[in-house]
Amino acid sequence: MRRHKRWPLRPLASASVRCISSAAETVTTPTAAAAFPLKHVTRSNFETTLNDLRAHVKAADFVAIDLEMTGVTSAPWRDSLEFDRYDVRYLKVKDSAEKFAVVQFGVCPFRWDSLTHSFVSHPHNFYVFPRQDHHEFLCQTTSMDFLAKYQFDFNTCIHEGISYLSRRQEEEASNRFEMMYDDEEGVVETEDFKLVRLADVLFAERIKKKLNEWRSELLHGGNASSESPGISNGSTQSTETVFYHMRPALSLQGFTSHQLRVIRLVLGKHFGDLVYIHANDKSSCSQDFVVYTDSESDKENLLKEAKDERRKVAERKIQSAIGFRQVIDLLSSEKKLIVGHNSILDIAHVYSKFMGPLPSTAEKFVASINDHFPYIVDTKILLNVNPMLNQRMKKSSTSLSSAFSSLCPQIEFPSRSSDSFLQQRVKIDVEVDNVRCSNWNAGGKHEAGYDAFMTGCVFAQACSHLGFDFEHDSENIAQNEKLEKYINRLYLSWTSGDIIDLRTGHSNAENWRVSKFKYEKIVLIWNFPRKLKARQIKECICKAFGSTSVTSVYHLDDTAVFVLFKNSELVSEFLKVKEQLESDNGPVTIIHPLSKILEGGKTGAADYEAYKEICSSHISKVLFSDQAETVGVKPRTRPETERRESMVAVTDNDKASDLIDAFLASRV
Amino acid sequence: MKRRFLSSLSASAGNSKTLNQGGWSVKQVKKSNFKSALDEFRTSIDSSDFVAVSLENTGSHAAAWHRVSAIDTPQTSYLKAKYAAERYQIFQFALCPSSLHGSKLTLHPYNFYLFPRDELKLGMPSYSFSCQASRLTAMARDGFDFNTCIYEGISYLSREQESASKFLSGNPILPHPIALPSSPSTVADTVFVGRIRSRVKNWRQSCIDSSSKTGDDDLVSSLRKLVLGSEQYGSRLCLTIDVCSERQVQLILEMLTEFSDDVVPLLIASKSRGTQAVRAVFMSSKDDKDLFKRELHDLENEENRRVRGFREVVDLISSSRKPVVSQNYLSDFTSIHAKFLGPLPSNVDDFTRSLSSAFPNVVDLSQLMKEISPLSNVSNLPAAMSSLNRFFAPVDVEVANQDEGNQMHGQNVVMISHLFAKLSTIQKSSVQSNKDLQALDSDEHANSITSNDENVKVWSKNSRRVSSENLVFIWGLSKKMTAAMLKKVLQKSHTVFAQEFDVKYLDRSCAVLVFWDSGSSDTFLSAVNNEEQLVGSLREMVAEGVRVAGYDTYRRACRLGFWEADLAEALDKTLESSASDRDLDTKPSDISWSSELTINFDEL
Repeated sequence: MRRHKRWPLRPLASASVRCISSAAETVTTPTAAAAFPLKHVTRSNFETTLNDLRAHVKAADFVAIDLEMTGVTSAPWRDSLEFDRYDVRYLKVKDSAEKFAVVQFGVCPFRWDSLTHSFVSHPHNFYVFPRQDHHEFLCQTTSMDFLAKYQFDFNTCIHEGISYLSRRQEEEASNRFEMMYDDEEGVVETEDFKLVRLADVLFAERIKKKLNEWRSELLHGGNASSESPGISNGSTQSTETVFYHMRPALSLQGFTSHQLRVIRLVLGKHFGDLVYIHANDKSSCSQDFVVYTDSESDKENLLKEAKDERRKVAERKIQSAIGFRQVIDLLSSEKKLIVGHNSILDIAHVYSKFMGPLPSTAEKFVASINDHFPYIVDTKILLNVNPMLNQRMKKSSTSLSSAFSSLCPQIEFPSRSSDSFLQQRVKIDVEVDNVRCSNWNAGGKHEAGYDAFMTGCVFAQACSHLGFDFEHDSENIAQNEKLEKYINRLYLSWTSGDIIDLRTGHSNAENWRVSKFKYEKIVLIWNFPRKLKARQIKECICKAFGSTSVTSVYHLDDTAVFVLFKNSELVSEFLKVKEQLESDNGPVTIIHPLSKILEGGKTGAADYEAYKEICSSHISKVLFSDQAETVGVKPRTRPETERRESMVAVTDNDKASDLIDAFLASRV
Repeated sequence: MKRRFLSSLSASAGNSKTLNQGGWSVKQVKKSNFKSALDEFRTSIDSSDFVAVSLENTGSHAAAWHRVSAIDTPQTSYLKAKYAAERYQIFQFALCPSSLHGSKLTLHPYNFYLFPRDELKLGMPSYSFSCQASRLTAMARDGFDFNTCIYEGISYLSREQESASKFLSGNPILPHPIALPSSPSTVADTVFVGRIRSRVKNWRQSCIDSSSKTGDDDLVSSLRKLVLGSEQYGSRLCLTIDVCSERQVQLILEMLTEFSDDVVPLLIASKSRGTQAVRAVFMSSKDDKDLFKRELHDLENEENRRVRGFREVVDLISSSRKPVVSQNYLSDFTSIHAKFLGPLPSNVDDFTRSLSSAFPNVVDLSQLMKEISPLSNVSNLPAAMSSLNRFFAPVDVEVANQDEGNQMHGQNVVMISHLFAKLSTIQKSSVQSNKDLQALDSDEHANSITSNDENVKVWSKNSRRVSSENLVFIWGLSKKMTAAMLKKVLQKSHTVFAQEFDVKYLDRSCAVLVFWDSGSSDTFLSAVNNEEQLVGSLREMVAEGVRVAGYDTYRRACRLGFWEADLAEALDKTLESSASDRDLDTKPSDISWSSELTINFDEL
């Protein structure tokens, strides 16, 4: 089988490029250097590509992925903020993955080829578009603009994007089909449905007569002309004698569903041996038959056969609706090492789109993602946490493209490949549609397929720096002890490549456990007079509670601030005083220093747990104050005990501490 | 040279080939040709009698029950439309200024691609928007070009956003004339004003000196500037006074009125909200002052035009005060209000008032259609058109646009315009002048909804008017329960069901019971909620999880914005939410109940 290939219009200058055709197919090796486009996958070539991909993934040592979404944050304050505890950060990731759509999914399997001493990669760029019923997603205008800036093809995505069903949706769909069969099995309730209208009565009579004729013709030979003209002149209705499951049948065409109900009624009343069957054929056109059965047992058989057939059709339908999830199932079932760059959001998207609703807490999420993808490595963590790699990055940013330029210059600038220094680098070939090329640069940054390719290259090079000898180690990269410290760790924060700043700059878990208590010292204030700035708010509170009572004040957005108090007692004291001032109308309220903050009477305040509650809501108002009002958090402090409990739960869990370690380790 | 493309078609009575779809030349407008199209549009609208509009949104309703149905009062209909208008984005805005002379309808159709671009990086015009996947797929099927829309769509700001952005764009702005003298001043204020006054006086004197004495050498004048803190604004001298509060701004502006002959104050906004400084600019003469104000005004206009984008078009229509014809009044105008005027008010009366101040003449085509041809459905334009064939109302359509390539998008607006022309011709067989036309619009059809409207018109032959208080919502039923089954079960459960009543599913999760006698609904509701009265099969049902609620709960669900996917979920949440939160607009209103409810069960 030969696939259409596109050869470059503009051969690259370098002469040292060599392209090897794969053994399976004899392709004339072009003498000039070749660059070919990224492999784009849409609905039309999905099935064939999937078959090839299966083999590539099976053979792969690791698979790099990357996603493009329609947005990242559903409101400005949903971005990760300085005062976000890790559980709040998870809630923000969860919100993002639930609201936005994935429009492109890059999958790039890498396999070590010991013959050529190089990796062979197979970048795939899947266009994905959700086509489930009633599916809605959010678009962030800046993200859409960003995609447009990189010439993202929205038309291809919406016209040709591959749809998908999550595992949960698949279950629901088969349940729905199940229910539908049961409905169809049911005989028309005769009590329920009576022939009242004259038209129905006449129609029923006509049908009865017609069926009688057909049946007696069938039984007594007669003049069995298989065609019959429309029942009434000029109508599109027609009946035709056909065979349905080896039995003589009358195919009914052009009847309304109401008329079909009348027909079913007539059959039930007058014809014991004629059975009504509603079938969906492969092209999902529905067809209706009246089938003759010669005995009760035959009738039962027929009904069973029809039911099985409908089930098969339904299963096929669901199977095809699963669509892109087959790729995810493939990655999951092969238990391959998944490589991503700053990939917490990608993984969360994969979970919510292809598994089911995201769990409510980070611990549950981590545990459950482990069941599906036992080995995940994040190149961003690798580059930041490993001192040697960090050094190699020469302190440049660890964004994907800059990591790629500093670690893989041999791929980014192939013309310099004569450089002896560069030749020590890991060689990475690209194979698209059985054409292999050792220096490929399709360019397209922010095409998911190319980004996945870059991620994989960065990972391979990083492994080589860590002392991997791929000749021996490629088999089981995931279990290699050199990677042990980095595997299955993800950053919870995704902003701009910056690592979570825990403010105090603690560098290990011990310290963090101390710092976590700072969240008990935080009060959230919103809807204060807009003209007040952080500094003025601090002044007001200091006037009321002492000049050292407030450590810092930090804006969430224009409408809300976090106030970090010296201790947690001040938190409840503040909330108590606020409540008192609000219920009191005396002169104290006017001269009290806090009155400046409470001016307008709409100011809300609550402790940190309320912030978490606000973040967990599926509502997203642009302004935080609107959000707080809509979620309806009542200003209050929580009982001490309850708060303790929630803190304990955090530290008990191994997975959670793994996570915590992961982002603490970042502060090298 | 302007070559006109004329396509005309006679669509008179008896002529069944009314409109050939895709046949009209509609001008496609994007970022690149917006400026030129705007000038053209201005001329078209000046010469038109009415403007037809048609919007293409990224969604309409997220769940079956979010769609406006027969059980909705004007208020709940409005809330549903508001919810949709706030979430979805307009991708395509087709407009058709049209003029009708005798039987000749001249059209200038335009199709604008819109995309909200955060050009000021302020989260405006919108931070994000929702898309209904099925809507986008349907648009794709019709050949909609998403790349054109997203790459080249025209952005905009609403009126409210524009005034907010003015302050944030960082350009100096002229303060509004001070209306009221400020509150009594404190000692601190007096000291502050005194200090600033003397500073301004010195500076002003030096300005006067330097303008009269041209003999100063450069060194002296620059030294003078340094000493007095004088700077230049363009070619004019100015003084920047830093301020710490809006109070100080007020005081300085008041004080500067003393020097209003030759000093003009400007406000410098800080990056975050508020004023950072007041800049006093020295004018050499009265003429200079006028010139300066004009320059500033032009600068502001230029800036505004850039920021306003497509809203310029909306403003043109608004200021022309021409009748605006839409196929779907509520959904179109809530969208227009939300995107181009300002946030939607929380009740329908405020909305109607606010809308009519911008668009005094709004025609709801479906309302008009119902009066003339009650049985036809305006959502299918070609069908609606052919249903009018029994009237003799010849309308000759002529589209006057320059011919340009692919013109297929925005055809609907041509049909809307045509349909409206035809309807007006039928209604007033001799519509000649546009005076008549406007009279027709403003009389009975414009702004057809208000919350006081208790006499909703009966628009289907077998619909009956029923007070909203006679409806009871019932949910928590078995998934396989059909309306007929439910009716049967209910009939056996309580005496109130001995009388005639109706059952209809509103979505998968919830049904509505319609009683024809007032009081029956209360009897039933109290029966379910009263432990002692609850007996027999009804008790059994409640024990199995059936819940009921009156119309008030539904109204509150809409008002509180519990737009859950299932109506049952929304009603449950409403009942849970504090009972103290009572609704104010609890007056009963009538709805038009039709046994052939317009709920499309295929979509459930």
